Amino acid sequence: MIKTSKKGIVTAITLAGVLLLNVSGAMAATAEENYKFYCAQCHGLQGRGDGPNALPSMPVSPRDHTSAPEMNKLTDDDIMNAIADGGPATSKSSLMPPFGKTLSKSEIVALKDHLRKLCNCKGKGK
Amino acid sequence: MKGMKFLKVSVLSVFLASALGLAASAQAGVAEGKKAFETKKCAGCHQAQGPAKEKTIQDQLAKKGPELWYAGSKFQPGFLEGWLKDPKPIRPMEYYSLTKKNTGSHQKLSAQEAADVAAYLMSLKSADVKVAIQPRDNPKGRAIFIKKQSCYGCHEVKVRGNAAGGVTGPSLASAATRLQADWIYAYLSNPKVFKPVKDMPNYDGILTDAELKDLAAYVGSLN
Ligand code: HEC
Ligand code: HEC
Ligand code: HEC
Repeated sequence: MIKTSKKGIVTAITLAGVLLLNVSGAMAATAEENYKFYCAQCHGLQGRGDGPNALPSMPVSPRDHTSAPEMNKLTDDDIMNAIADGGPATSKSSLMPPFGKTLSKSEIVALKDHLRKLCNCKGKGK
Repeated sequence: MKGMKFLKVSVLSVFLASALGLAASAQAGVAEGKKAFETKKCAGCHQAQGPAKEKTIQDQLAKKGPELWYAGSKFQPGFLEGWLKDPKPIRPMEYYSLTKKNTGSHQKLSAQEAADVAAYLMSLKSADVKVAIQPRDNPKGRAIFIKKQSCYGCHEVKVRGNAAGGVTGPSLASAATRLQADWIYAYLSNPKVFKPVKDMPNYDGILTDAELKDLAAYVGSLN
């Protein structure tokens, strides 16, 4: 005998929603978390290009993500391509590694937005 | 005459005793090592049973030390015993710290404990290390490490005898005496099994399988 009350359906939908939220919430990290974990080791915790791997002996320095003049040279697509495919995607050094197989598309978009907040700039052509 | 005979006997018995002692310490091992690993609370910082547990950045940041559940497939025979007696920093920074230098304060073991624990750890093999890779310096692997992917951005290597390179990854300056090339290839090609969440990017799908093999052979030859 199948008898579903309205209340039962609502509860089921809410439950499903909570479960879905939990699943995606457990996997995808926020842009701040990702930045601290993956990027700060070179770009620094504040994004000034001064992480522990930014050594004087390196051929190029990590980009200062707080510098509007530097970050305004890049379009949003440039930023996302550099994150996914590494420095060579924007004709820069391979010292900027590729994260396209580590971060999801939406995490990369969120990181781009995070960088735009750090530089307080809109980017090339905007 | 009598004295001479006595001397011979005692020399023989000393020889026998040391031979027996040697055999005993060579055999002591896995079970004793496992016990020492438990009583010394090594598992408080090291995961000794697979599979990999970390799924999120938080999971990884909650860890206090590297995984050892595939140690027998990862390390060169002989490396662990020496390191456990005299643990010199492998990671230039403290585990997952961006600010603190690794001062080399890891727990030290006595010679016997080190031999036992090393035997135990070397018994922890992974069935996912399947492809044999011969360590060898090769131009393709070298070009990927130095130019195409700049692995040195996070890993120290030796340049004309001096350590150079980034500091957030484990040093690869003497990878040849520490790591098995077979494991390096497995680690690079199958990150989900060995280390699903880490601050090194995944390269499988970015580099081809042939490139990963050359790269693993090259890294396995670094000394
Ligand atoms: C191993 C060190 C390293 C890591 C880790 C790293 N970067 Fe970079 N990044 C660099 C370097 C070095 C440059 C400068 C390259 C150049 O100027 O040739 C750079 C440049 C950039 C640029 C500018 C690219 C351009 O075309 O000018 C962006 C955007 C960027 N990084 C974002 C990130 C983000 C986001 C992360 C984390 C997901 C990250 N980086 C992680 C080293 C790193
Ligand atoms: C307080 C946490 C802690 C405890 C307890 C601890 N270790 Fe460690 N262990 C670490 C850290 C951190 C490293 C990385 C050290 C480095 O890179 O120089 C490490 C490295 C190692 C390594 C090298 C692994 C690698 O991948 O580089 C071995 C082997 C090891 N420990 C064995 C042991 C054994 C055996 C014990 C118990 C006697 C033990 N550890 C107790 C934290 C700990
Ligand atoms: C952004 C920094 C970064 C880059 C770039 C990087 N690595 Fe790593 N690598 C790490 C870190 C951090 C670890 C340790 C991860 C852990 O155990 O949690 C690691 C671990 C390793 C290990 C295992 C070492 C051990 O003792 O456990 C190997 C081998 C390795 N990397 C090779 C490479 C190669 C080859 C490249 C270039 C294709 C590369 N790495 C690029 C940061 C990096």
